[in-house]
Amino acid sequence: MSVQAQPRPLPARMRGIPRFLSAGPEVRKIGVGVLLILLVLFGQQFYGRVTAPGRLAPELRGAKGPSNVVVVLAFMPDRFHNERISEYGVFAGRDGALNRIRLRNVTPDSLWRLASVSWVARIEGMR
Amino acid sequence: MSATTAASARTGVPGQSMLAAAGRQLRGLKILLPFAALVALWWAIYASGDFSPQVLVSPLTVWQAFVHLVTYGVMAEYASTSLRMIGFAAMLSMVIGVPIGFAIGVNRYAAHALEGFLRFLQGISGIAWLPLAIIWFGFTHTTTLVIVIYTLIVPIIFNTMIGVRAIPESYMLALRSLGASRLRMVKDVYLPGALPSIVVGLRLGMGYGWRALIAAEMLVRKGGLGDLIFGARTFGQIDRIITGMIVIGCLYVIVDRLIVQPIENLTIARWGVLRK
Amino acid sequence: MSNATLAPPARRRRRGIDQLVWRLLPLTPFALLLAAWVIYWAIARPNAATLPSVQDVVAAMWELAVKGELAQHVLASLWRLLLGVALGVVTGVIGGFIVGLNRTISTFLSPLIVFFNAISGIVWLPLVIGWLGIGTALAVFLIWNTVFFIVFQNTVLGVQLVPQVYEEGVQALGGGRWETIRTVILPGALPYILTGLRSGLGFGWRALIAAELVGATTGLGQMIFGATEYHRSDIIIGGCLLIGTIAIAMDRWLLLPIEKRTIERWGLVFDARKEE
Repeated sequence: MSVQAQPRPLPARMRGIPRFLSAGPEVRKIGVGVLLILLVLFGQQFYGRVTAPGRLAPELRGAKGPSNVVVVLAFMPDRFHNERISEYGVFAGRDGALNRIRLRNVTPDSLWRLASVSWVARIEGMR
Repeated sequence: MSATTAASARTGVPGQSMLAAAGRQLRGLKILLPFAALVALWWAIYASGDFSPQVLVSPLTVWQAFVHLVTYGVMAEYASTSLRMIGFAAMLSMVIGVPIGFAIGVNRYAAHALEGFLRFLQGISGIAWLPLAIIWFGFTHTTTLVIVIYTLIVPIIFNTMIGVRAIPESYMLALRSLGASRLRMVKDVYLPGALPSIVVGLRLGMGYGWRALIAAEMLVRKGGLGDLIFGARTFGQIDRIITGMIVIGCLYVIVDRLIVQPIENLTIARWGVLRK
Repeated sequence: MSNATLAPPARRRRRGIDQLVWRLLPLTPFALLLAAWVIYWAIARPNAATLPSVQDVVAAMWELAVKGELAQHVLASLWRLLLGVALGVVTGVIGGFIVGLNRTISTFLSPLIVFFNAISGIVWLPLVIGWLGIGTALAVFLIWNTVFFIVFQNTVLGVQLVPQVYEEGVQALGGGRWETIRTVILPGALPYILTGLRSGLGFGWRALIAAELVGATTGLGQMIFGATEYHRSDIIIGGCLLIGTIAIAMDRWLLLPIEKRTIERWGLVFDARKEE
């Protein structure tokens, strides 16, 4: 690696990404900081969205109208989780265990959004 | 820590760049050492005494609580609420506060008149206005937002004003004598000249604002990290409280040291008249 | 907050009436606000809970003063502040000196201090309320916490920035360690310590009010939060104004004279904007 003088730091938006690494320690810090914050803000959402297809039971994929589902969690839900799940459909009680929640009238759009929630284990059709 | 960076800046001997790079990697890990020592001390204290879970928990329990809160989506949501709030409040405060600061700073009479008033407002911290905001806006996000904006905007206005006042008269006269329009003046003289001070104001404001945010969330209880730790108190979940505290600290350090402080250093390096 | 003074206009203006105007100028924002308040109230006649009239606020404050409650609250708050600040300054300065004199320790502890400064104050409330309950102990802890880390950081900075030359000078003249500390390092670090004190007092007052909002039975913070329940906006506004006034009074009549007397006496110059 050739010897270079410390490059003059310029604001990040004035440099392209490839030059980012040589743009000076301050700019790198800002990059790392922004990245971490974005991770906190969107990391879990992104992960959930990417793994969404795996959560829906086969019979529910491609649902055209409102469906009745059972939302299965891998843990015992807090009030927090019950509240969030209830936003996607009409709460209709448990399905045997506390971590199996019945929802009625879940629109296809809500179904997809529910599948994108990272802490939902899977969504099954209601029998 | 500043001493070591200053020292390494002073040497800058060429040919040592590889060594310096390796040193930097190690330095990154070295930062974790004191925290490891602290956790070890914590564990020792916990193990030596017979603490009820209401008083103190082990680091392991706290870690478990952290993992629990993260995997079950709780932490992400509460942390995001707080971050969005401070981010939004910071943007609004800059957009409103900087122009006001400019308008005040340009006129020396206005500046002198409002200096004491702004100090007074800063003395009544945003948190003190919480009760009134609760009466006006109820226990809502609006209340939190108003309080945090108040807390942020006063240092921003004050420091913008100071930044503008600190610009040497000669610069302004020189450009004006060359026939510069108002807009040109703002762009080429006022803005760069005041920028270092503005960013210092932003940094100060973020410090006050983050604390005010946590306090407001504790009272308003509509989400956010303050709500998380205060709510955990109701159930005596010390592990969650400590997790929340650590997350609060880490997030602030990330925003302050990895984002705002570098911006501050960059503006000072480029346009700075402040001596640091 | 910065102590930069805004210079009065050039000498040719500094005469009689103009000087009087200049001195009265800082009062104009308050006067304008008061006038706006009175006029708005006369025109719009808002609900007393939303915005009480000036007379309501004055009357409410007077009532509390006469009943002795106001004095009780103010004294409770000030007493907690005094305890917390005193503890914070003493521990901060002593700790700062011990750590500051040793480079290895200060570099090691630096990340920890930065982190704990990030969570200083109100963030500890949910945890500590379980240990100390509601009341003075809680408030004093939170203030100590806030003040300690700020004063500590600034002391370390001050100690480390004392030029080697002075230390060596004393040692060349045969002075021992203690001599060096007393005659060189202490005065040298003093400006930073005082900056830390000033900053700490500001943050500490805010932390106190925040702590009293939820964790006390007396004190100004409790007074204004308790009034929320009964929608007594007049007490809240009066309380807030009082909080601001005390903050300014402390800064102006307590700290500024201390700074002037010690720094002028030792002929030390420093940049007032160097707040951490």
